[in-house]
Amino acid sequence: MKGNYIKLLVLCLGVPIIVAMGVFLFSDRAYAWVSLCVAVLAIVPIFISFEKGSHSSIRLVILAVMIALSVAGRFVFAWLPHFKPVTAMVIITGMYLGYECGFVCGAFTALISNFYFGQGPWTPFQMFAWGIVGLVSGVLAKYFEKYVLVLFVYGAAAGVLYSFILDVWTTLWWDGSFNFTRFIVNITTAVPVTAIYAISNVIFLFLLSKPLGKKIKRIKIKYGI
Amino acid sequence: MNNNSAFAAIHPMVLLLYFIGEIVITMFSSDPVVLLCSFVGSVLLFAMLSSLKQFLSDLAFYLPMLVLIAVINPLFSHNGVTPLFFMNGNAVTLEAILYGFDISLMLISVVYWCKCFSIVMTTDKFLYLFGRAVPKLSLVLSMALRFIPLFRRKLKEFRAVQGAVGLYSQKGFVNKIASELKVFSALIGWALENSADTANSMKARGYGLKGRTHFSLFKFRVGDIIFLIFSAVFFVVTTAGIAVGLTDFYFYPRVAKLCFDSLKTAVYSAFFVLSVMPFVVQLREVVVWKYSVSKI
Repeated sequence: MKGNYIKLLVLCLGVPIIVAMGVFLFSDRAYAWVSLCVAVLAIVPIFISFEKGSHSSIRLVILAVMIALSVAGRFVFAWLPHFKPVTAMVIITGMYLGYECGFVCGAFTALISNFYFGQGPWTPFQMFAWGIVGLVSGVLAKYFEKYVLVLFVYGAAAGVLYSFILDVWTTLWWDGSFNFTRFIVNITTAVPVTAIYAISNVIFLFLLSKPLGKKIKRIKIKYGI
Repeated sequence: MNNNSAFAAIHPMVLLLYFIGEIVITMFSSDPVVLLCSFVGSVLLFAMLSSLKQFLSDLAFYLPMLVLIAVINPLFSHNGVTPLFFMNGNAVTLEAILYGFDISLMLISVVYWCKCFSIVMTTDKFLYLFGRAVPKLSLVLSMALRFIPLFRRKLKEFRAVQGAVGLYSQKGFVNKIASELKVFSALIGWALENSADTANSMKARGYGLKGRTHFSLFKFRVGDIIFLIFSAVFFVVTTAGIAVGLTDFYFYPRVAKLCFDSLKTAVYSAFFVLSVMPFVVQLREVVVWKYSVSKI
């Protein structure tokens, strides 16, 4: 219950305060400020509800393993630019461990990879974007198990969504306002990368979702999560 | 990594607050003087924290980038009243180029601050800061951080084993992907099986019981308090200046004039001091060290 109040407080008070601060303090960079802070605030409620929920230690360990695997996946396929199993791993985590774990997996994968590849103001946005990918896959999990095609379509869409969220951020950060020409240029130059994201997500989901799902389910049954 | 430098030895909480304050001001102001102060501060600090070679190679990358960002800005923005020339029927204005310089100064200062942040705020400090507020999340984070080097070592092992039995091949694109996937899938199986051991061991040692304390090496020292007070004062002066609009600066339609009246100068100097404080802390250490070496 307390968690719910904090969530409400964050959303009802935090967002208006930030918008007001953006308008009064940083008049010409208001958009960048508001978007960054709202990305941070969007992460907070889900983290709080994860913190309040009761999770057995095995669940926490499996979550940590999945995060570490998706970061390690970036190293395994380091020789292939943008062709990474990360999003697929986040989606699988969301599917089998629930939407909260999916969000945490996505957000922490971004945070931890940036310890290796460089933190920056883009970190909250990557955390948010990957987190949302994991969260949605947790919500849609039952459709994924029924229709594999939905999973693949979602995998491709997640690649596009991720790229889209980060392009919005790049545009806002450069101009301080939403410069539409710049946004179009960003999106079009990112098309090949976005395509690779989408294709690699589908390939990795095709190859990993079944065997990995089996392994996680086995452990879930064996240790009773 | 230069983790035991004087600046990195400051209490993690103070460091975090300092970086947030500095980066927020930098990121969201457009006054060229403010940005220049921040740029100077961040580059000086990075010079102290990194090796000379690293510093020079970074500079060789970011200085051309600074110019590049400035030069491409007119492609997206045709505002301003001073056209320099026309390209494809669109005016390339002086204001747009100057605004581009301003933006790129901001971008590169933030990148430099983040680089310094990465060097100074190691993962142990990060976990210390968030460990008490969000115990479960920070446990997950610290476990994941520990697993990554372990997994990378294991990956090497699995590759060697698969190679020895003739299942790992680097020839051809498809072969390489297939082999790497096999290795990755072996890693997944191994990691998930082992996670059960970790969880059981945690349970056996009383994870989640009440009254457990955390281990940490960080203490609040007098120097930390002094640093905190100084940075808080300069931060408050700067933000007050920003809030009342002393640093409002605009590029369109005509570039605003830079002026240095007494109030503005006070805000600028406060922010300058705030920006170079870490550098001064580092420099003081070097000087003291040189001085004591020369006495021996």
